[in-house]
Amino acid sequence: MAALNMNKEQFEQMVGGGKTVLVDFWAPWCGYCRRIGPAYEQIAQSWSDTVTVAKVNIDEEPALAEGQRIDVIPTLVLYRDGKVLGSVVAPGSKAAIEQFLRRNLEG
Amino acid sequence: MAEDRIYDLVIIGGGPGGYTAALYAARAGLKTMVLEKLSAGGQMALTEQVENYPGFEAGIDGFALGQKMQRQAERFGAGTAYAEVTSLDLNAWPRVVETSEGTFFARTVILATGANPRPLGLEGEEGLVGRGVAYCAACDGMAYRGKTVAVVGGGNSAAADALVLSRIAKKVILIHRRDTLRATKIYHGALAQAPNVEPRWNSVVTELLQDGRLTGIRVKDVHTGAEAVEPCDGLFISVGRQPATELVRGRLELDEQGYILAGETTQTSVPGVYAVGDVRTKPLRQVITAASDGAVAAHMAERFLAEREP
Repeated sequence: MAALNMNKEQFEQMVGGGKTVLVDFWAPWCGYCRRIGPAYEQIAQSWSDTVTVAKVNIDEEPALAEGQRIDVIPTLVLYRDGKVLGSVVAPGSKAAIEQFLRRNLEG
Repeated sequence: MAEDRIYDLVIIGGGPGGYTAALYAARAGLKTMVLEKLSAGGQMALTEQVENYPGFEAGIDGFALGQKMQRQAERFGAGTAYAEVTSLDLNAWPRVVETSEGTFFARTVILATGANPRPLGLEGEEGLVGRGVAYCAACDGMAYRGKTVAVVGGGNSAAADALVLSRIAKKVILIHRRDTLRATKIYHGALAQAPNVEPRWNSVVTELLQDGRLTGIRVKDVHTGAEAVEPCDGLFISVGRQPATELVRGRLELDEQGYILAGETTQTSVPGVYAVGDVRTKPLRQVITAASDGAVAAHMAERFLAEREP
């Protein structure tokens, strides 16, 4: 499954709905954000059993990004039952994203 | 040893050097795998506009060029794994490459790991990355709209960063330890004309001030020793690059600056192991010289395999 592009309503529905959701807050003009793209899509596939992998374009959803206190992008936030389990800013590798997921999901 | 994990050539790093090597090797019939930790293009992927790679007369976005190089190599059968290499045994046969995506075995290895921005080495610097400290104006500049930022460095990339930021930020303080920029002439005039760029010559940054985010920097005049605090929201560090050689330190010969010693043939001090692009000792580090290294290394690997194998 490809990473789901979410708007505010979808975000509230998914994150509030008791699921485990990983959200990449990004913008098209952000170079680091683009670099994460290919690895992020692979993670969306390989983690689809345990995590819903999604992304939010902060240019299209500024209020949502502000509400989640995102002031640096890319920021990846992991939610479960509407709560933040953890976040990571500009991870340097696919391995770093997966380590972040394992650390927060096993705890 | 899983047979399907044994490659004629494993390339570490998916920048222009790595994927050009993959293209040439795959076309020569070598079973080839590129190990890239994030996405194709390397440092080039963060360059908005590559203006000096021949054939793209209007320039090309570095990220897009990286993807094109990847697809071109893959069209001839090269593979890509988004894997971070954790250790490397170059003395084993085949050589052993341990990664976040399992073990790969390689008859020949090309190191295309590139270089990373050099930090200033100040206390608290690492923790402030993304919280005021940055190494790439094109990547992180937009977060400083209407704010005050400082740029450290005197080369082309520092000058280019200062120019990019002058169009976004309220004020740009340009800090350089000499009395004139090392950057090419074309930058000098442009910077002089930017009304919100304030140079601080003969100056170095000695301390990062913070309250969880960067709030300012302490700047010292190298001649008088006088220090002053400059409040700022962002500090862009552009003081050169350091080669990514953690995997081979102590195993391959390096030059005084830490680059892998290899000449025109890209052959390192270990037979069948090659170094291409920014990680290799060389006079000019550009997309085209990395690509050129990649072609040579693939050719050398092919020759090594032909001579070694019955």
